[in-house]
Amino acid sequence: MRDIIKMIIVLTIISAVSGLVLSLVYEGTKTPIEYQIVKFVKEPAVKKVLTGYDNDPIIDRKKIIIGEDELGKPIELIIFPAKKAGKTFAVALEGKGKGFHGLIGVMVGVSKEGTLLDIGITSHSETPGVGSRVTKSSFTNKFKGLPAKPGLTVDGISGATYSSKGVMSAVNQAIGYVNKFSKEIF
Amino acid sequence: MSIKDEFTKGLWQTIPPFRLVLGLCPTLAVTTSAKNGIGMGLATTFVLVFSNLFVSLLRRFIPNQVRIASFIVIIASFVVIVELVMQAYFYPLFKILGIFIPLIVVNCIILGRAEAFASKNGPIASLADGLGIGLGFTISLFVLGCIRELLGSGTLLGVSIMWSGYEPFKFMLKPPGAFVALGILLALINLITQVQARKGGGK
Repeated sequence: MRDIIKMIIVLTIISAVSGLVLSLVYEGTKTPIEYQIVKFVKEPAVKKVLTGYDNDPIIDRKKIIIGEDELGKPIELIIFPAKKAGKTFAVALEGKGKGFHGLIGVMVGVSKEGTLLDIGITSHSETPGVGSRVTKSSFTNKFKGLPAKPGLTVDGISGATYSSKGVMSAVNQAIGYVNKFSKEIF
Repeated sequence: MSIKDEFTKGLWQTIPPFRLVLGLCPTLAVTTSAKNGIGMGLATTFVLVFSNLFVSLLRRFIPNQVRIASFIVIIASFVVIVELVMQAYFYPLFKILGIFIPLIVVNCIILGRAEAFASKNGPIASLADGLGIGLGFTISLFVLGCIRELLGSGTLLGVSIMWSGYEPFKFMLKPPGAFVALGILLALINLITQVQARKGGGK
């Protein structure tokens, strides 16, 4: 009996101490990890869609709350502002749209005047060689210079209709956010 | 054995993947380049050193029946620390090593050293043992990574060093290439050992 109690106590103490240590390490590395993920996953797309800024959009990123999920938790959207002489003249933000296989993430650059600067695909799982053609600049360039108004469409790629529509709905979602929250964004 | 012997035995006498033939899964899987080999090796060394130290310090308090469970909790904690720190400061390497970082928990070298050495020896000897075995593991992964990177992509630590017309031997980057490279290295090490033994016998 004493053996069992000793086992339980020792194992409990070891687990409790390691749990405590891990929670401290987790708290300490939370911010750098978030920064790293944003930097390596989003930065290439942000750099593609924004030009002519003199700040670091990754460091200057801000979060706005765009709604609540079913549990009442706020849904956050990350905005990457492009600034010149301290003034925001364009932003990049990510929209998501349903493609042929799951969601397509699209980074959209919008200027303060309401023009689409460029788009870049951040994540997708479309069919390689077919749907994945939407990531090519021959398609994404079609969005350049269009007015950032809801209901925007471009010519899709034949054979990749669903993927093209997924990109368009992602872009429209991002445009919707910009129009709805333009006060917070700019 | 002295502390120095405990340390140096890991570097040649019992160098992990070649002599103990333990920890083969990460050895074969991540050594597609020298850099990955070093990263994986150092991550494992960190876990090994600290798990050895703590197992050794706690060896008198841990009841024999729950020792394996306790060792795994200690090892897993250090693995999570490595994982978080790597994600926070070496994100590209973390992405490449991927699932093999959390899998350090089940690397048999670490549990093997905790069970076979640290639970029976003092903290300083265990520290030396962990450091030696860990560095031996790192060196092995580095050498294997060098061979595969050199033949498979014609570079070394990312620097192109083969002649310009070199056609990369892509096979070496694939899993079978890992077995072939490991087999050749094992054969070489056995050959050296035999030659040494013959010389020693001749004296």
